[in-house]
Amino acid sequence: MSDDRRPVDERFEPYEPRRRVPLPVYWIAIALAIWGTLTLWRDAHAGFIAGRQRGDEAAADTRRAAAPGADLFLARCSSCHQPDGSGIAGAVPPLAGSPLVKADPSVVVRILLRGIDGPITVAGQHFDGHMPSFASVLDDDQLARIATYVRARFGDNASAVSPSDVAAARAWAAGHPGPWRGGDEIRAALMPLLEPQPAYVASLIAAPDPSILALVQHGTGGGWSCASCHGDLGEGHGDAPRIAGLSSPYLLAQLRAFAGGARTSDAMAPVATSLADAQKIALASYYSQLATPSASVPALQGALDRGEALALDGDSAKGIPACFSCHGSSGFGVAPAFPPIAAQQPAYTAGRLAGFARQAKQGSHALMPSVAARLDDADRRAIADYLATLPPVPTGTAPPAEQH
Amino acid sequence: MNRSLPLIILAMAILAFATTLLVIVPKFQIGHEPAPAGLHPYTAQQQRGRDQYVALGCVYCHSQQPRTPDQAPDAERGWGRASVAADYAYDSPHLMGTMRTGPDLMNVGARLPSMGWQLSHLYQPRAISPWSIMPSYPFLFEVKDKAAPGDTVVWLPAKSAPPGKVVVAKPEAIDLAAYLIALDRTYPVPSTAIRDDGYAKHGAGR
Repeated sequence: MSDDRRPVDERFEPYEPRRRVPLPVYWIAIALAIWGTLTLWRDAHAGFIAGRQRGDEAAADTRRAAAPGADLFLARCSSCHQPDGSGIAGAVPPLAGSPLVKADPSVVVRILLRGIDGPITVAGQHFDGHMPSFASVLDDDQLARIATYVRARFGDNASAVSPSDVAAARAWAAGHPGPWRGGDEIRAALMPLLEPQPAYVASLIAAPDPSILALVQHGTGGGWSCASCHGDLGEGHGDAPRIAGLSSPYLLAQLRAFAGGARTSDAMAPVATSLADAQKIALASYYSQLATPSASVPALQGALDRGEALALDGDSAKGIPACFSCHGSSGFGVAPAFPPIAAQQPAYTAGRLAGFARQAKQGSHALMPSVAARLDDADRRAIADYLATLPPVPTGTAPPAEQH
Repeated sequence: MNRSLPLIILAMAILAFATTLLVIVPKFQIGHEPAPAGLHPYTAQQQRGRDQYVALGCVYCHSQQPRTPDQAPDAERGWGRASVAADYAYDSPHLMGTMRTGPDLMNVGARLPSMGWQLSHLYQPRAISPWSIMPSYPFLFEVKDKAAPGDTVVWLPAKSAPPGKVVVAKPEAIDLAAYLIALDRTYPVPSTAIRDDGYAKHGAGR
């Protein structure tokens, strides 16, 4: 028998003795508090950085929009007309000494608004006129500043063009869609005293076949139509690229590549497979002739100045050639291999560049994959957004009026 | 239990602190965000489609919250700009989702605006993308011998079409597609809009 059988105190209540909280618990609590505060501070700092970046970008955008006429001329006109306005013999008409620049201000403004697609004679020289419309990418104020600058510098005429003049011309141009059909139409409509102009020969391509228009608007056999993704006039939206004004051989090659699997696209493959080759040819020809205004706007928060630098000059430090060195001055493309990239939808451009970069990773040494592999994410967004600010390639005919 | 009152007070204080920071303060921050000018309330049809979206559990695989370029390449994927609080002004309940088994759908109406495409894809995603792991929703459609007048016939590539039959969309499918097409937040937002700026870094674009 042990002593364990001593009587138990029945009234005993267990209790927790008062003990100090162990020191490590304090340390952990203090460390957690510091960590939480640092996290909050870092987040607040990220918000501060982002706010400042937005402010800087907004200021840069305002600066771009408010740039004086001289800067706008350099950015928008000089790549073709040359910084001194002398043009390129045989290719781009001169501004210096041009009777069109010296004429009534409405002439310059209306040419800026509509663009030109047709032969034109300036100061005795013959040119194959091919100028984009700036109506969709520059506002009245900017157009007025460009017109004022061009007329003052190259037309010896100091009278300023006001934004309200541009607004009036814009209202007029709304009733006259599509580019000027060469110097002939300009002479007839605006300047009867202009030197004789070459006759405009209408394109031999006939109006599109009704069955092709049905394909565009309603698809084949109830299938998805072109317009249901690419927009009524091929202007594109988001991922769906702008296809209006791309060259016919390029468009046809893409349709065949989608059908054959050489270019992969889940959305396009079933469509392209269901099209007969004759339909592909007709569709490519139809969209190549559409002079649709640009519907692209910068949407990827890219740095436009960086995008402009990459497009015009490239980045030799990173081994990136200028976009325009292959895709043509102003990004209008060099048919048939290099498609127009001006006025393309930014989400499509950036996505396509990312796709090319992926091909490079998979071992492709083709031209675009090797260039795209050297672009980082911010560069892709910068280029895509910059290209969206450009006027579309001047081409063919106005969109059919009944589709507006 | 000893000292139960201090324990309860402490527990309530922690709960109140968390509720204040996670519920009440955000409500004051974003509760008064006005709807952007480009955002429209859902129509009755789109709202019915939204109910379908909830009922079919789309939210378990699809998010509705594109991120900033600092966080993910969502813009390059074509998913649109990073969403801001105001984009959800008419969403009740919101369907932001957390899983990205499928692509983000915040702007699916902008990148895939074709009703025909949406219907074909809902009927059989693999008719369009052979690698897709999205479930098909055949119960939103009827397979008929012949389409009646007014029927919405769904186009399918020959390999996926039921031989000799036509696939017709039920109203539920059309409602859902109408909702998906209405998902288009590509309008610009004011620079003062409340947004998530986490992970913003110097020199990483805006």
